[in-house]
Amino acid sequence: METTRICADNRFTLRSPERGRLKLFLFLLAVPLLCALSLLLGPSGIGIPDMSQPAGSSIMALRFGRMLMGLVVGAALSASGMVFQALLRNPLAEPYVLGVSGGAGLGATVSILAGSSLALPLNLPVTAFVSAVITLMVVYGIASQGAGGSPSVYSLILSGVIVSSICSSMIMFLVSTASVEGLHNVIWWMLGNLQPVSGQQQVFSSALVLLGITGIWLLSTRLNALTLGREMAHYQGINAGAVIVVGLLWATLLAATAVSMAGMIGFVGLIVPHVMRAMFGPDHRRLVPLASLGGGTFLVICDALARTVLAPVEIPVGVVTAVAGGPFFLVILQRRMKHAWN
Amino acid sequence: MIEHRASHSPALSFRDVSSGYRGREVLHGVSFTVAEGEFVSLIGPNGCGKSTLLKTAAALIRPVSGSVSLFGRPAERLKAADRASLVGVVPQKIESPMAFRVGELVMNGRISSIGLFGRPGAADEDIVERAMIYTDVLALRDRYFMELSGGEQQRVALAMVLAQEPRIIMLDESIAHLDINHRQEVLQILLNINREQRITVMLVSHDLTLSAQLSDRLLLLDNGTLAADGTPQEVLRPELLSRIYNCELQVRTDPWSGELQVSGDLVTGRRRKALDRRIHVVAGGGSGIELYRRLLIEGYEVTTGVLNKLDSDAEAARALHLDAVLEQPFSAIGSACYREASVMAGAADMVVVTDVPFGSGNLVNLSLASEALSAGKPVFLAEGIGSRDYTEGNAAGRKTDELLADGAVTWSSIHELLVHLQKSFQSR
Repeated sequence: METTRICADNRFTLRSPERGRLKLFLFLLAVPLLCALSLLLGPSGIGIPDMSQPAGSSIMALRFGRMLMGLVVGAALSASGMVFQALLRNPLAEPYVLGVSGGAGLGATVSILAGSSLALPLNLPVTAFVSAVITLMVVYGIASQGAGGSPSVYSLILSGVIVSSICSSMIMFLVSTASVEGLHNVIWWMLGNLQPVSGQQQVFSSALVLLGITGIWLLSTRLNALTLGREMAHYQGINAGAVIVVGLLWATLLAATAVSMAGMIGFVGLIVPHVMRAMFGPDHRRLVPLASLGGGTFLVICDALARTVLAPVEIPVGVVTAVAGGPFFLVILQRRMKHAWN
Repeated sequence: MIEHRASHSPALSFRDVSSGYRGREVLHGVSFTVAEGEFVSLIGPNGCGKSTLLKTAAALIRPVSGSVSLFGRPAERLKAADRASLVGVVPQKIESPMAFRVGELVMNGRISSIGLFGRPGAADEDIVERAMIYTDVLALRDRYFMELSGGEQQRVALAMVLAQEPRIIMLDESIAHLDINHRQEVLQILLNINREQRITVMLVSHDLTLSAQLSDRLLLLDNGTLAADGTPQEVLRPELLSRIYNCELQVRTDPWSGELQVSGDLVTGRRRKALDRRIHVVAGGGSGIELYRRLLIEGYEVTTGVLNKLDSDAEAARALHLDAVLEQPFSAIGSACYREASVMAGAADMVVVTDVPFGSGNLVNLSLASEALSAGKPVFLAEGIGSRDYTEGNAAGRKTDELLADGAVTWSSIHELLVHLQKSFQSR
């Protein structure tokens, strides 16, 4: 009697700890291998360049720089998307959902078209970053109106979408009145690329990303509780309003940093968190580091493909992420979606 | 069952608390104290403020005025983690959009005590496991929460709150979805933790009979105020319940167990269907809609008039297929319509007048009532017609006084009216 009951109760049990651990092991093994692989790919040829030549070592340094950029930017986008999906309890949320991309794009467009980006190299990223953060504050402020200081996720998403649309319209207006050269620069920035930024900015941005991911990791049990909704989280002794604000700030910081480093790279922030959640479950204590690693590695590989496939022509990495990653992730999600979302 | 196990130190106390949502106050000046170790049920009709009371007690809503204290400490100034160690809430339903497994979800109960930098230790695992064994969900540990049945989800939610180890547990109609064996089990769990661990329990419930069986004490809420507070025998009085739930309720004592049982009156309702009792209603301005509905449910035949077309009562009468006499929109009632209504009211057994405002245009409707009285039929007048009198020289007020002098009866709630109607039909 008792045994039949246990069998019946366990009929949906899919987890076997060994399999889970094996998956984790394989993933952790794949990360350094794929990063190393990216060092072998480039427009100058496949393989390790001749390190004795100055050209060879500088090629290697260039590839290494891009690998670091890819890791940092990809990790930032993926972790940021994961937080937005958890806080907004919505699988369609992504790093750009609350107007971060619109704001950053508008700031960058103004900066590029005003020509100041040519005069001061730090200016474009700083402008993009600042305008992204300002946009988030505007969106949050609008959504809080009439909600007594704690906006609902629906009003956040809606006001984010509206503010984004306004920003895109203004970008289009600016672009339509721009010179051909300005137009070219704006479009290229928007497609995104991982050309290493100045060393000073690289260090600063990487520090910000590391800080953001650590901050999110500290919140991970709170994110778990918040997926049950604000009310239940409150009952469990969590300061729900504060966690949401802090979480949104970290996620925006990450997204804005990524945008200011590499322009707008889509897809990573939306899909990678879903795939990692489907593979390793939604528990954020595991998901935060895994999604960051996954996003970084994915972007590194995409960038390696982007500069190799049509060499010497370089495809924008934002194109490769969706074209190469789309079908791959679609298969995974189709098979494992129920392990991520209901 | 009714033994006061409770000590006298207060677990939860409300002092003159008014509370609610932006622009809408739900609780008005509620005061009570639940002692530590008590098992209390919170009852009352839909929308009376039970959930709001729970949310206020758990400091999710800040009271507009008055104060709430948990174990002697002001609820709104408690730190979140301290609050969670005092009070746990099992909500009506938990939605987990992400595919969390049962074990991971129950671990959420430990979050606030683990803190920001800690990790769950062996002690936490033990507490979680114990809570899962207690609620019989250990076998479900690796299942996805959202693919469980409603009853299983409720038990998982209870396990999560038990893992929180609060000193008072509040359940918001959480047992309504359970099948009978698991309902008994969950209630047994609640009684056990109440008795053995002296955890205070506050149960919001719609099942009056069940609440009476379980609880030391009942709190009856009505429209945001505390209507009664006492032992089940003190609170479950048929006249009080019938007034608050606005329908006929009976309270019986079970001859074997001595438990109180509250039940409605469906049996006589089924018999009444065959009766041919007609009531004419004088209404207007929306004052008749609820009355029409209730009279029809009780099995009466209803006629109404004179109403103006486009009036909300006229629309309701049309929607409910009532016989009605309708005058042109926004005009005074003419003699043709009045004669028609007079015939209609003459065919009815009784006449009921709602608290419709009277003006010179519809004053003549009150004459339908005096005609009925002189024909020896009972007439029921809503209270407060005099205070809604827009006629010159208080004509409607004076007319009502005449009617009352001639034997008309006043009513203030629909339930009271239905009792009057029932009585006068029986006496005929």
